[in-house]
Amino acid sequence: MVALILASLPLAILAATPLLLAVEGELVVQRSGIINLGIEGMLLVAAMSAVLAANASGSTSIGFLGGIAGAALAAILFGIFAITLRADQIVTGTAINLFAVGLTSFVYREVPSLTTAPRAGTDFVMPIAWIALPIVLALLLWSTSFGLRVRACGENPEVVRAAGHSVALHRWLALMIEAILIGLGGAYLSLVLTSGFAENMTAGRGFIALSIVIFGRWKLKGALLGTAIFGLAAALQYALQASNRGLPFHVLLAVPYVVTLLILCGVAGRVRAPDSLGKR
Amino acid sequence: MRRFVVALIAAAVAILLLALSGAAFGHSPRELLALLVEGSIASRFAIEGTLLKSVPLLLTGLAVVVAFRAGVWNIGAEGQFIVGALAALLAARWGVAAALIASMLAGAAWASIATAMRMWRNAPEVLTTILLNFIAIHLLGWCVNGPLQEHEQRYPQTDAIDASLPSIGNLHAGIAIAIVASIVAWWLLYRTAEGLRLRATGFNPFAAKWAGIHVNAQIVRAMAVSGALAGLAGGIELAGVTHRLFERFAAGYGYSGIAVALLANLHPLATILSAAFFGALATGAGELQRTAGISSAVSTFGQAVVMLVLILFSAIEEKRWSR
Repeated sequence: MVALILASLPLAILAATPLLLAVEGELVVQRSGIINLGIEGMLLVAAMSAVLAANASGSTSIGFLGGIAGAALAAILFGIFAITLRADQIVTGTAINLFAVGLTSFVYREVPSLTTAPRAGTDFVMPIAWIALPIVLALLLWSTSFGLRVRACGENPEVVRAAGHSVALHRWLALMIEAILIGLGGAYLSLVLTSGFAENMTAGRGFIALSIVIFGRWKLKGALLGTAIFGLAAALQYALQASNRGLPFHVLLAVPYVVTLLILCGVAGRVRAPDSLGKR
Repeated sequence: MRRFVVALIAAAVAILLLALSGAAFGHSPRELLALLVEGSIASRFAIEGTLLKSVPLLLTGLAVVVAFRAGVWNIGAEGQFIVGALAALLAARWGVAAALIASMLAGAAWASIATAMRMWRNAPEVLTTILLNFIAIHLLGWCVNGPLQEHEQRYPQTDAIDASLPSIGNLHAGIAIAIVASIVAWWLLYRTAEGLRLRATGFNPFAAKWAGIHVNAQIVRAMAVSGALAGLAGGIELAGVTHRLFERFAAGYGYSGIAVALLANLHPLATILSAAFFGALATGAGELQRTAGISSAVSTFGQAVVMLVLILFSAIEEKRWSR
């Protein structure tokens, strides 16, 4: 079993990279008091726009930029409603997800070349996601006055307002940071893990990211740990499947969701969320 | 009246955007609109299709109405729909009535898992209901590939059930059941003390608590009723239309229910009209896919646009009120 876990580790880290980027992005935005349920849709749009850009330019680097641009457009749509118009975040997020599913399926049928993409060369995103970003984001959130203000937006926006800063501006900036990370994650999914877009290829990763943020108690250490555990479980599932231990495929597919559910129940009781999370 | 105009505008914007995005990829917007109308309401066959599509949308829409009215975020109608259909399949040997009752019980039970997790472990139902959706999808996938696979074992689907809803031509009794359900839901929500308590809970749980309402009991009940309605939708779809289960059985009806409920402004009777609109859109989109090769997922896109336009209107309205 230990050997199996060790053997699965590299694949686990690789496969969980888009998930980690999504978790990091959602953590930042939730710290600012916004719960972005539309993360699944953003990831899906990014995966598609990355392939579109990569195919148009022939370069995967441009593809990654395309992913970021797609995620940013979806984020702007979400932000206009959820931040500027202060609409309900859950309903807006759901709408963004439906929007993304409809739009990407539509475009998928119109642009047949989406199924293939140039393969990415050296993987520079994985080390960034697992090493550089956690450090940078932790410093940004906990060691700068900007980070303090972002977190204050999530705990008590009135304080930020009283100090003469714009809550909406800080939430918008947090959302744009999320968009960059989700863009990278979506592009990683469609350019590195596979090369090409498929309908609904995000397969719930965005929703899992939401849960991991809670599991990690809105801290980066927790986010890394949660994603690693989750990635390992997912990789083990493939290993077990390959070794044919007789567990049905679909039962294995459901395992990650059951695990997340148990995590939510087991830990959520003692979790303290940012005070103003999800409030208008 | 104002609400109705807003809903009409939202629907019109969705159709317009649909035509425009078709034009962006070289389809003629006029042809696209003509196909939408033709495929949804222009013939007897088309109207039948629209009515049949509207039934699950009406019931999942009602499920969302009841939950949202109580202030609970049931995003899990999709999973409750699937579990309801599975239970109906298992109970079908005892007749169609048993199948539908089983579907309601199963939907209520599945939704109540999320309620229990909220009550005991403080887990937000927004997340748990979504996760339960994925678990239900894989449960169905396992069933149709494993224990419940058809006798010939050729395709990942179940055998057809014998029980069937009474029907005239293609139109099954589920249409009547769904309409009765919305009238009953309206009566319960707006004409009974229990309904007032439920709405008060959703409107302001703190005020409701101070008024002596047992808020948690309201939430438990609303979630169970909501799940039962979504489960019933699955049972009716099985016993009235498909008669068997396969992997993509739910086809997004649960999530679409949110758009249906919002367009109806969370009113049970208006939900009938709203479901008919989205039913027509989905049926028309099916025609688009068959005739013009445009993905039928454009109806999902339409649902999203309707939701966003409605959110926009209510946001503008609320600002005017609060400032």
